[in-house]
Amino acid sequence: MNDRIVFQDVSKFYGEILGVNRVNLSIPQGVTSLVGPNGSGKTTLMNLMTGLVRPTRGRVQVLEYTPDEPEKLFRILGYSTQFDSFPKGLTGYQFVSSYLQLAGNDSKTSDQLAWRAIERVNLSDAAPRSIASYSKGMRQRIRLAQALCHNPRVLVLDEPLNGLDPLARAEMIALFRAVAAEGSYVIISSHILHEVDAISDQVILLSNGYVVAEGQIHSVRNEIQEHPAQILIRCNRPREFASKMMESEHTIEVRIHNDGRGLLVKTRDTDRFYLMLNHIALNGIEIESVAPADDDVNSVYEYLIGNDEVVR
Amino acid sequence: MMGLWWAQIRSVIRLEMKKTFFARRGLWIYILALLPLLLFMGHNLVISRQQARRHRIASRSEKPLTYQDLLAAKSGMMSQEVVALLGKPPEHFHWNERTQSGTDSFVLVPHESYHYSDGTNDLYVDLSDGKVTSIDVRDGFNPGEDSVVFAGVFQFFYLRLAIFFGCLGIFMNLFRGEILDKSLHFYFLAPVRREVLMVGKFLAGLLATCVIFVGSEFLQIVVFVWNFSPNVRDLYLYHNHGLTDAAAYLGVTALACLGYGAFFLAAGMLFRNPILPAAAILIWEAVNPFLPTLLQKLSVIYYLKALCPVEIPSPPGTPPVLALLVSNSDPISAPAAILGVVIVALLVLYVSSLQVRRMEINYTSE
Repeated sequence: MNDRIVFQDVSKFYGEILGVNRVNLSIPQGVTSLVGPNGSGKTTLMNLMTGLVRPTRGRVQVLEYTPDEPEKLFRILGYSTQFDSFPKGLTGYQFVSSYLQLAGNDSKTSDQLAWRAIERVNLSDAAPRSIASYSKGMRQRIRLAQALCHNPRVLVLDEPLNGLDPLARAEMIALFRAVAAEGSYVIISSHILHEVDAISDQVILLSNGYVVAEGQIHSVRNEIQEHPAQILIRCNRPREFASKMMESEHTIEVRIHNDGRGLLVKTRDTDRFYLMLNHIALNGIEIESVAPADDDVNSVYEYLIGNDEVVR
Repeated sequence: MMGLWWAQIRSVIRLEMKKTFFARRGLWIYILALLPLLLFMGHNLVISRQQARRHRIASRSEKPLTYQDLLAAKSGMMSQEVVALLGKPPEHFHWNERTQSGTDSFVLVPHESYHYSDGTNDLYVDLSDGKVTSIDVRDGFNPGEDSVVFAGVFQFFYLRLAIFFGCLGIFMNLFRGEILDKSLHFYFLAPVRREVLMVGKFLAGLLATCVIFVGSEFLQIVVFVWNFSPNVRDLYLYHNHGLTDAAAYLGVTALACLGYGAFFLAAGMLFRNPILPAAAILIWEAVNPFLPTLLQKLSVIYYLKALCPVEIPSPPGTPPVLALLVSNSDPISAPAAILGVVIVALLVLYVSSLQVRRMEINYTSE
C-alpha cells in the first residue's frame, strides 16, 4: 500500500503552453505547501493530483489510487478549488449535502455530515442562504466545507486563505493543523510563503512550471540561497556602483551596460545585495531603477522570503 | 454496486431537474414545444365558430335537414326543385351577370347561391338562370383529412424542428452549459464514476424533454380530437386507429428525445461551438432520404419516419425531392425501428462515455 502522493516525471502542456514540466515528487503525510508566483504551476499540480487535468507525460498516484478513478479517489480526497463558481440556485447547505448525496450517502447521513462540516468552517448561520448572496470569504469557506465534509485522508486546498479576514485566516489555519494532526495529508497552495510558513511541514517551491526546491522549510531556504540572482540597476555612476559591489563577497559578477548608464549584478545573496544597495544609495549614487533580470529564481526568491523583507 | 450507481444517478437527476426545467435560457424550448398546441387551439377556435354558424343556419332552415337531404340536391335541378326539396335557403346570395347576346345587345343572367346546413355539414348550391350549376357539400368534420394535417405538422415541424432544437438546447447544455458556467468541477470532484454521471445527466435531460415534448404532444392530441363532435370522436378514436395513432405519436416523440438527446449530449462534450454540430446533424437528418441505405440507418429520422402512424400523401406535382422527404422508400417494421433508435442512441452514448472519462476541466480555454 502506497502511503505517499507521488508524481513521477509528470509534465502537463496546455497546447504549447507549459503547465508543469518533469515533476518528481513524493509527498508524505502532514501539511505540504505549494509555493510560487501566479502561473508557476501550483493549480496545475493540484488539478493533476485530482484528475481534473491529465498529465501529458508521467504518472500521478494518490496513496493507493490514481486520478483516473474518481469514484475511488474522491472517497479519500477532498479538493477546495480556486474556481469561484457554483451550481446555480443552491444554498450553502445544499451545496455540501448534494455533494454528499452524489457520493451515495442517504439524505440523513448527508444532512449530518453537511452540518458538521459547515460548523467546522463557522458558516452555520449563512448555510440556509443562497450561495449567490455570499461574500468572497464565505464562498471560500463553503468550498472548504465541501472538501472536508466526507472526512478525507487527503485535503487539497488551492489558495484557501484568499478572501478571508485575519480572524477567519487564523481559524482556518488552526483547522488545517487539526486535520493534519488527525493523520491527514493537507496540500495547500499559496503565492505568499509566510502565509503557510508556520503551518507547513514541507514546502514545494515552484517557478514557471518547474519544482525549484522541495523539502522542509529551512532546507528550501538554504537551497535558494545557492541560486545566484541577476539584478539590473540603472544609475548615474555605474562604475563606482560596480566597484562598491565587488567589495562584497556575495557578488559573483558585475557587468557595466554598453550605454554606460547601468550595470548587471550577479549575486548569491539578494538579501545582502538589497541592504548594500540602500547603503550605496545613501552615499550619493542616484539609482533610477532596480529590476530582477532573471524572473524565475529571483521572483521565486522574493516569494520565498516575502516581499516586505526586500529593501528597495 | 448497482444500488450505489442508482442512488448517484438519482442525485444527479435531482440536481439537474431544477436547472433544466426552470432555466431562464430554456424558455424558448417551451415556446417551441407549445407552438403546435397553439396552432391546433387556434384551429379549434375557427372550427367552433364555423360550427356555431352552421347551427345558426340550420336553425333558420324551414325544416330540419339531414346529411342525406344535403346529398339529395343534384346539378341540373331547377331552383324550385331545390327549394321544394330543402326548403327556402337560410342564406341566399344573388347577383346578375351581364353577358353579350349579339353585336350590340347584352342580357342579364341571374346567378344565385344557396347555403344550407344540417348543423354539422354545409351545402352550397350555385344556380345560374334558375338552374343548379354546381353542388358543394362540405363535411363539418373530416378526421381523415385532419389527421393528415396533424401528421404533417408532427413530421415537418414538431419532429424535425421543435424536438430537434429542443433537445439541442437541453442536452447540449448538460455538459457544455456547465463548462460555460464554470461549475462542472462540482461533479468531477465527487466520488462518482464519470460514466454514471453521464448517464444521470442524460436521464435528467431525457426526463425533461419527455415531460415537455411528450406532454405537449399529448395536449396536441387532446386538442386535435376535441374539435370533433362526440360521435366523430368516438368513431375516430375507437374504430379508426385514433388511439393507436395517438400512442404512436407519443412513442415517436419519446424516441426522438432519446435519439436526438444522445447525439446532442455527445456533441456538447466533443464541440465547443454548438452551432456546428447542430447544423451537421440537421443536414445529416435532412439528407437522410438521399443517403445509401447503410448510412440512412445511422440517423434518428430514418427510424422515426418508419414509426409515424399516418403517411403523408404527396399531392400530384410535388417535386420529387420533397416527395422523397415524406416517402418511406425502405420501410422497416415498428419493433425494428424502435430497436434501431435505441441501438443508435446506445452507440452514441458509448462514444460519449469514452469522452467523459477523458474530459478535463480547463475553463480558461473555453
